[in-house]
Amino acid sequence: MSASSEVDSLLIQRIRGGDSDAWGELIVRYEGRLLAFVESRVRNRASSEDIVQEAFIGFLNSLPNFDGRRPLESYLFSICAYKLTDHLRREGRRPAVPLSAGSDSGGSWDLPGNQRAASSIARSGERRRLEERAITEAIQEQIDRWKERGDWTKLKCIELLFVRGWANKDVASRLDISEQQVANFKFDFLARMRNIIRKQGLSEDVFPELYEEES
Amino acid sequence: MPRDFSEAELEAYLDEALTSDEMSDIEAALRADPQLTRRLAAINGRRDAGLHTLGEIWRRHRASCPSREQLGSYLLGAVHNDVADYIDFHLKTVGCRFCQAGLADLKSRHEESQETVDMRRRKYYDSSAGYLNRGE
Repeated sequence: MSASSEVDSLLIQRIRGGDSDAWGELIVRYEGRLLAFVESRVRNRASSEDIVQEAFIGFLNSLPNFDGRRPLESYLFSICAYKLTDHLRREGRRPAVPLSAGSDSGGSWDLPGNQRAASSIARSGERRRLEERAITEAIQEQIDRWKERGDWTKLKCIELLFVRGWANKDVASRLDISEQQVANFKFDFLARMRNIIRKQGLSEDVFPELYEEES
Repeated sequence: MPRDFSEAELEAYLDEALTSDEMSDIEAALRADPQLTRRLAAINGRRDAGLHTLGEIWRRHRASCPSREQLGSYLLGAVHNDVADYIDFHLKTVGCRFCQAGLADLKSRHEESQETVDMRRRKYYDSSAGYLNRGE
């Protein structure tokens, strides 16, 4: 556990016990970055402060359900993003999006490829968290290894492909490497992720993109 | 011609995780293109059914984000060139909004008056402390 996570963990423990000083410390620690996050979208200081205020109240209300293994900063950002989205919808800036594409969509919410329909594999939240945790650890381990070895190009390549969804040719051009190199990095990364899924006995169906190129 | 957004960008849009300009671009496109709304609804449906994508897990868990301490050192120009180059890439090319906010916060600490900061913090505290221990 990093020093920062340890501090967070102790703060949470004290806040759960009703320690108001600890609550003040958490505010001091996080309000600035939450405000910057919101203000970059809202461009109005008073409204941004109101949203951050709602996020803090939302955090205290959700504290009984907070999983202490999750980084506090990410959790606070996610509450803040939710409150911000709500604000932007009320302002008419953010169009509402329906929960799913509807029955006439022909199952368009399946990812590309010939995997079986997602509706047939709905399962428990606990199972989903387990799958997510396994992949998170695998990704984290891979990133740490790249950073340790100074494999910055690989890290950048995979981040652009998966986090930004760039096409191979755009990644190659941006990083000044060949498309073949991009394809190789991608192949290795996917193979590693598939290996973890198989080793841990997790369902392959719920990670369709891992198997797109195999099918 | 409207830009073609990737699935990963649309996922990030739903999570309020793109840069402010990119979020606005998608919002503008949504008003003009009903197909884009259907694509977003499809992502919601896919998530609801429990399918994962690597990008959203990576982003949600901030797997490649530099630590707060690294961001601070980056701001002071006190990190190794390779690391600085990667942080630059992560902030500007990937456009990580959470790290951008962290960096903006670190910068503003030198610029805002302590009195303004204290007043704001007091306001947050006063409005929320009453919720402490509720529901525990």
